[in-house]
Amino acid sequence: MADKQKKTIVVTRFDPDKDEAPRQQRYEIPVEPDWKVLDALNYIKDHVDGTLSHRWSCRMAVCGSCGMNVDGTPKLTCKDALADYGDSVEVTPLANFPVVRDLVVDIEGFMERLQKVKPFILRAKELAVEDGPTRQSPVELDDFRQFSMCINCMLCYAACPVTTNEPDFLGPAAIALGHRYNLDTRDQGQAERNQVFREDGGVFACSYAGECSEVCPKHVDPSGAIQQAKMANVIDWVTGLVLRRGDAG
Amino acid sequence: MRRVLLVLEPVIWALFSAGMMVGGLLLPAWALVMGVAGPLGIAATATSYDHFYALASHPLGRLVLLAAMALPLWGGAHHLRHLWLDFGGLRSDGLVGTLCYGGALLGSLLAIVAVVRL
Amino acid sequence: MSHARPVIDAMKPTKPGATRTAPPRAPDGFPSRGNYRGYLAFGFGGFFLFTLSLLVLRSVWAIGTGEAAWNRLQAGFQNPLYVIYHAIAFLWLSWFILRLFRLFPATQPKRFGPFQRPPDAVMVAGLSGAFVVVTLALATILWGAV
Repeated sequence: MADKQKKTIVVTRFDPDKDEAPRQQRYEIPVEPDWKVLDALNYIKDHVDGTLSHRWSCRMAVCGSCGMNVDGTPKLTCKDALADYGDSVEVTPLANFPVVRDLVVDIEGFMERLQKVKPFILRAKELAVEDGPTRQSPVELDDFRQFSMCINCMLCYAACPVTTNEPDFLGPAAIALGHRYNLDTRDQGQAERNQVFREDGGVFACSYAGECSEVCPKHVDPSGAIQQAKMANVIDWVTGLVLRRGDAG
Repeated sequence: MRRVLLVLEPVIWALFSAGMMVGGLLLPAWALVMGVAGPLGIAATATSYDHFYALASHPLGRLVLLAAMALPLWGGAHHLRHLWLDFGGLRSDGLVGTLCYGGALLGSLLAIVAVVRL
Repeated sequence: MSHARPVIDAMKPTKPGATRTAPPRAPDGFPSRGNYRGYLAFGFGGFFLFTLSLLVLRSVWAIGTGEAAWNRLQAGFQNPLYVIYHAIAFLWLSWFILRLFRLFPATQPKRFGPFQRPPDAVMVAGLSGAFVVVTLALATILWGAV
């Protein structure tokens, strides 16, 4: 029987109770040809070192839990084929995030940004049940559909140079999701969201590096969303000056 | 200073956007003819005073030149400020931004004077 | 393999968590990895936008001053450093605007009222074609053929 192929997985380890700073640990493990990177991490945890901590859930690239930097690039480890790499693969926690332990990052910063953009339908005046259902055509749905595909995996934040250099930046996913609601014909909160988009770290902090769209596993194109949001914001700003309207939301 | 820049950000971005477009469309031809072919003697008429004065003093010429001078300054200023931020310059962003956009504003004002005084 | 430099503040929550965290690390490969190079070269196009428009301003100012000032300026532009600068500016800004046009379709909404956004390839071809036409037309006018 042929020996199984072996690979070396180099993993960041960090225990806040024991370690001053993150360190690397190497595991040489047998691998199957069809494995994803996540399979290798789970093998390590199950058979080699039970202290390894990493997030994962669905194993099919829909939950957004398993984002990590693999050989320097943010990836969903459940989707990333191990065979694409050489004999040694380096897995580090998502860049641009504080590290809680090993490969687990603190996502609270992202949660705060998400809440800031109010990613839900905002109505100036709620419709009554008697008014019947809100109608939206397939064309109107298509306006924002792509931007609704975000699974909050945060790979975009790990790739974004502005997130590195400007701590207040809302970031690709939050802006794309805010813009998704701005484009939704059911929503009446554009003025309110655009105000958030004009604050420090808002849409204009983006310098269109485009790295976010490069790494997005769901082809959301947050970079495109942000550029669209910039133009929409300028129009909203001018309209606001001219009309001197009160806030709708 | 950064707060002032933040309030003006939509205007700055709109000028930057227009500046990239106008600059990218008009300036390459200028660089090629007025900066390379003309000085090298390949396009002798390009550097002639009478020829260029006729072009520049025409109302359309003044407008095009004003656009080609003023708008790309904003495009350039915004890019340079963001390059500074990309290399970790957030702390001095207020100063750098003010210098960049201040330069663009000064240049734009001079551009208006330049086409009016022709 | 990991060349990320440590940073302090990225994605920091407003309230500290229950345990001590290690500081975030910057994305690997900035500024030398593939995509970043194009992005930074595009940003540096700003240098040529700024300086070249100032040189146009200088020329327009000189033509408004008089023939002697204009001729002095033109003589100055014959300096090889100026010619090299203008040649690089021409190439860099041409690449700059073509890259901008390549990225342009994604920056536009999918629909303008009843009109759908044209296919990306059509937009890029149209804009790039417009650049070629405008450059040729402007160059011809400046050259003195018209």
